Amino acid sequence: MQAIPLELRYVIPERGYEKFWEGLKKGEIWATKCKRCGSLYYPPQRDCPVCMTSELEWYRLSDRGELMTYTVVKAKPQGYEDREDYTIGIVRTEDGVDLMCWIKGVPRVGSKVRLGTDGDRVVGETA
Amino acid sequence: MKRRVGIIGVGVSKFGRRDDVTVRELAWESIREALEDAGLTQKDIDLVVAGSTAYRGVELYPAPPVSEYSSLLGKTPLRVEAACATGSAAAFTAVNSVASGSAEVVLAVGFDKMTEVDTPTSLAIGGRGGNYQWEFHMYGTTFPSYYALYATRHMAVYGTTEEDMALASVKAHKYASMNEKAHLRNRVTVEDVLKSRLISWPIKLLDSSPISDGSAAVIFASEEKIRELKVDTPVWIEGIGFGSDTSSIARRGEWTSLRAAREAAASAYSLSGRTPSDVEYATVHDCFTIAEIMAYEDLGFAERGKGATLLREGQTERGGRVAVNLLGGLKAKGHPLGATGLAMLYEVTKQLREEAGPVQHQFKNYVALTHNVGGTGHYAYVTVLSR
Repeated sequence: MQAIPLELRYVIPERGYEKFWEGLKKGEIWATKCKRCGSLYYPPQRDCPVCMTSELEWYRLSDRGELMTYTVVKAKPQGYEDREDYTIGIVRTEDGVDLMCWIKGVPRVGSKVRLGTDGDRVVGETA
Repeated sequence: MKRRVGIIGVGVSKFGRRDDVTVRELAWESIREALEDAGLTQKDIDLVVAGSTAYRGVELYPAPPVSEYSSLLGKTPLRVEAACATGSAAAFTAVNSVASGSAEVVLAVGFDKMTEVDTPTSLAIGGRGGNYQWEFHMYGTTFPSYYALYATRHMAVYGTTEEDMALASVKAHKYASMNEKAHLRNRVTVEDVLKSRLISWPIKLLDSSPISDGSAAVIFASEEKIRELKVDTPVWIEGIGFGSDTSSIARRGEWTSLRAAREAAASAYSLSGRTPSDVEYATVHDCFTIAEIMAYEDLGFAERGKGATLLREGQTERGGRVAVNLLGGLKAKGHPLGATGLAMLYEVTKQLREEAGPVQHQFKNYVALTHNVGGTGHYAYVTVLSR
């Protein structure tokens, strides 16, 4: 029999990360850096658990990196069903930060990638 | 461990698309078998540890309905969860409850009714198996896509091929065809795997474990209780190692091996005083074929990058150097998340007792292990057992 559907409608906070989301709209990728120990956080964090401080500053990541791995998503999840196939990659930026992004262009492990955004996410273009 | 702990009863349900039962009857199938196997009744059980991810079934808090249906009231104060390693988290909790002296006989039962939602919903739940905001929300990750990131890197760094991965699927289906309780009992060829539908390149449908319903139950007891009950063939827990890792897959820094599994293995070997070459039988977490190859390496059965060699040489078949997943693995036996870790203990217990029928492996020293990974390496448990 049909059970009663459960619709979960979530609202999630953006507080403290406005800089990141605004950056995405402008093609910029922002991480946070601990003022005390220099730890770099991506995804950005408001707190540095290494030195127990909340004194972090925003740090703009390099737009150049190397493709470490990737996959082409064919079977899509709820929320992405209407999308064309997309390629998810992990890119190591020149700052040494590993980040998830979508990849445009032909993907190959080890290829150079130029990072930007499409307004909603980080996108890397292979050379 | 403060006190020695052994397994005295095991049960497992039929795995598959179980439209014929709700989660209560499903869990009871394995609970009943475990109680009968141990020759005990509910009144002999001090504590029940229920394990279920419970995200894909209508019963979001399934432990009370299961406990009520199975007449285990008053003994079930918690449900544990560690994604795909939920069954091992239940075992870990149960074993430590006995080892610490807070209970003598503990039943761990793991169950999940995963087919009550449709596949896109299931993919969306699995895709949240990392970090919602920084992965799923922005990039539409799915569970297969996470493992595909490992597969792609393993292929690029070590030259592992899609054919190599397919061998793990062929092996899994072969053994599942001999297991009446397995979800997928058809045999497949390398060509079938390579031609199957792409899910998240390089992972194809036949590289992937199915979405399964099922349950498994294991009864643990103290050494004192085991002597008192005069159990014929107790299977002893020699050590449970655990590990955990970042929620964000990008932050792992490497994508050819699961750090959590390596750490769990190192700890389990250290606790038990065993080495990889002592292990004669293993269950490994082959949710995708690449995961089986990485497991061989993370457990020290093969050098880093050489996992596929064991498959090519048949060294993990019945009668091989270390027999692996002779009930069909997650890949073909099925992978009901909450049940999997306990179903592994069921399998190893049957093997060590020499009750495994057509897939009985020949032991010399009766040493085995289970390797159960949660999420995409977020959690890992490795348990060394002996007879």
